[in-house]
Amino acid sequence: MSGVSRRELFRLGAAGSGALVLGMVLPGCATAPDEREPTRVGAWAPNAWLEIDPDGGVAFTLDRVEMGQGTVTGITTLVAEELDVAPENIEVVFAPVGDAYINPQYGLQVTGGSSSVRTSWERVREAGARVRAVLLASAAEVWQEPVASLTTEDGHVLHPAGTQRMAYKDLLALAARQSMPEEVTLRRPEDFRYIGKHNRRLDALAKVTGQARFGIDVELEGMRYAVVARPPAIGARLVAFDDARARELPGVIDVLAIERGVAVVAESYWQAMKARGELSIEWDESDAVKVTQESVFRQYRQAADDSAGDTERSDGDAAGVLENADGVLEAEYEAPFLAHATMEPQNATAMVTDRGLEVWAPTQGPDLARIAAARTSGYSPGEIRVHTTFLGGGFGRRLTQEYVEEVAEIASQRQEPVKLVWSREDDIRHDVFRPAMLHRFRGALADGRVTAWDHQITGPLIFDWFARNAAAAQYPWAPRMFYNTLASVGRMTEDTFLTPKDHSAIEGAVDVPYAVPDLRVRHTHADAGVPVSYWRSVGHSHNGFAVETFMDELAHRAGEDPVAFRLRHLEDSPRHRAVLERAAEAAGWGGSLPEARARGVALHRSFGTFVAQVVEASIEDGAIRVHRVTCAADCGRMVNPDIVRMQMEGGILFGLTAALYGEVDWDDSGRLKQSNFHDYTLMRHDETPELSIILVENGEDPQGVGEPGTPPAIPALGNALFALTGERQRRTPFRAGSADA
Amino acid sequence: MTITIRVNGAEQSVDAPEDTPLLWVLRDWMGLKGTKFGCGIGQCGACTVHIDGSAQRSCITPVARVAGGEVSVTTIEGLASEDSLHPVQAAWLEHNVPQCGYCQSGQIMSAAALLDQETNPDDERISEFMAANLCRCGTYPRIHAAIRSVADGGAS
Repeated sequence: MSGVSRRELFRLGAAGSGALVLGMVLPGCATAPDEREPTRVGAWAPNAWLEIDPDGGVAFTLDRVEMGQGTVTGITTLVAEELDVAPENIEVVFAPVGDAYINPQYGLQVTGGSSSVRTSWERVREAGARVRAVLLASAAEVWQEPVASLTTEDGHVLHPAGTQRMAYKDLLALAARQSMPEEVTLRRPEDFRYIGKHNRRLDALAKVTGQARFGIDVELEGMRYAVVARPPAIGARLVAFDDARARELPGVIDVLAIERGVAVVAESYWQAMKARGELSIEWDESDAVKVTQESVFRQYRQAADDSAGDTERSDGDAAGVLENADGVLEAEYEAPFLAHATMEPQNATAMVTDRGLEVWAPTQGPDLARIAAARTSGYSPGEIRVHTTFLGGGFGRRLTQEYVEEVAEIASQRQEPVKLVWSREDDIRHDVFRPAMLHRFRGALADGRVTAWDHQITGPLIFDWFARNAAAAQYPWAPRMFYNTLASVGRMTEDTFLTPKDHSAIEGAVDVPYAVPDLRVRHTHADAGVPVSYWRSVGHSHNGFAVETFMDELAHRAGEDPVAFRLRHLEDSPRHRAVLERAAEAAGWGGSLPEARARGVALHRSFGTFVAQVVEASIEDGAIRVHRVTCAADCGRMVNPDIVRMQMEGGILFGLTAALYGEVDWDDSGRLKQSNFHDYTLMRHDETPELSIILVENGEDPQGVGEPGTPPAIPALGNALFALTGERQRRTPFRAGSADA
Repeated sequence: MTITIRVNGAEQSVDAPEDTPLLWVLRDWMGLKGTKFGCGIGQCGACTVHIDGSAQRSCITPVARVAGGEVSVTTIEGLASEDSLHPVQAAWLEHNVPQCGYCQSGQIMSAAALLDQETNPDDERISEFMAANLCRCGTYPRIHAAIRSVADGGAS
């Protein structure tokens, strides 16, 4: 039996959702860090992240949201290490919107791009170290001992004689009068007490006892529930609606037109849903987007034929070499639109107070949520407080904030607290999708080496869609009437000094690691009008599939072993080589297999992390069966090795789900065919392969782990199916027996 | 209408339409937020609770079906005993299972029901039974190992 007592359980459970305790009980009391005051009476708040109260409680404001990837544990471990307080003794508070919390990689307060540990590695440790330095200086004053002679241990300063110790909480008054040191020395890796060692997730107890509070769990006094009827096809517009029948139903409070559709407000979600079903709505579909996956790829092919696109990388003269080469290998790959399908459907809660608007949202971008709320509520960003919660999955979905736009509009019109919940059908049908992408390759070989490589990628840029709220979020003082102008300017200035380049279409392709003397990568812009967004591993999700499948095709054409062939092109890439060799060795590459099984391999670096995978698969009764995945990953130094392992496991299964099932499509009238888990299929427990994860240990700087497990899983499976059947899998989801020959 | 239901050992009365799914009565009438909404059609298992000890999808169970106080409903909040975690919860901690955590209440309720009914399910039986619960984060291997450890007597 567990040694955790029930009392301890609820104490820890409460700590795990501390932000919500603060935010939900005391709306309006979250303090902007720019005017930072302690959130507790008598506490010392030395910087934007830390607060120590007179009872010894240490609160850490976590500025990267927790969506399963492990920020609560990982980043708290960073501050714990330098402050020298055990991670489990630190209460984690989810950050409000504030300049100090902006993600330096993006200039926005977003969690994404597997950037949380990478961008916190210095910043958060330094924040902890500065506070510890001040506490040490304060103790030195009390004891009249040289600072250098003092040490710390789990929330205490130790006297050099070893006879006395002073708790941090007893030094607060003195510490508050000290000035923060400019320079601090960070702990040496060999002295780490928590980094690389602390394995149990800090949020695990709250999550196994049902105590963790997600967005959908927010509860406010007098709260109403809202659902929205949205356009049946992308771009359809509301003309008129008849709500007479809906309003007669019990529990229905109001039906109102909002920018994104017709909202039903009721006493409960169930009553709101029933009433929504009784609405009779007329939509104008004259400008609706009516596409199918097939029509989109037809459009992309035409665009690729018509335009060579922008050259994104060019080494040597790929076009010239290919023109004169014999036996040029050509291949075309398709990656379809994909839904995110986070387990927690989209939702948000909002309430008007005498100070403005309070918003609770499971969001990957609180500052984006604030702009989204400002768009539709009439409040300015300065009057809006955003409280984030635990996120029931993110995968990029919650970087887009339509649910906040909706709830802010409804709550400000109703002037009462409203929780908006999307049904699963809403969530799938109105997702912002992973873009469909078309890949065309030409490659030439000589003496077992690739001599020329030309890769043309056709599809949209995600920033064209993301700019909507992202541009304005960087100028929160701008009046609402300029939001769309800012978005347009952002889009038009992409890849100039004003707006960073959008790598979403080309990442994982321009950085192909293989040594090829004549290499060109191009992007042809084509947008089908379907809203798109970031999806776990973004461009790597389709470029990894395309590049690693084409490399496999080249190996086959050369008559070479796929692992040996790749290694031959990686002479100057030792970390790529190392993970490939380790995965191949652990998988028994080249060794015997049970009958009717085959192996495939893929290697891909994304978000700084090197990952190689070997997949073992078969086809049983016409269905693809994945038996085993061996994965070697090098993400540099690991803050929490077991979370790295978890992220590789989850990333692999996410990739395999796309490879086996992932696809959405529309019918001829622009209605999405998929709506729920019966037709948007996710991998289930009984299909899960055996996973074997090898973590390469080294002292390099930490890199991303949330996404890099996903890209190689897709081509590794496709390449295994080729080895099994001789049929190449050139589009996802893969088909047993019906792929292109 | 007023409905009496027995949840986590206590009888309670709620004023809810009788066709309301049990899920929403638990969450929005009784404040038991640990049981999650995932799909509304019994496809994902996030809403799994015990009804007289058996794992059921509360999103497709009308509250009227458990009305009257004769039927006993257990949610994740009622799984731990007075002073300790349920062995399945303890195994979940031991194996560091949760990632986002949203599906885990349902996973744990399913696993607890399975282990209550069958003392030593084999791997195939665990996989088949747990296939009713979706996890988008990909925690299945750890869930499997955690259930295995309880079935083998490891965590109890």
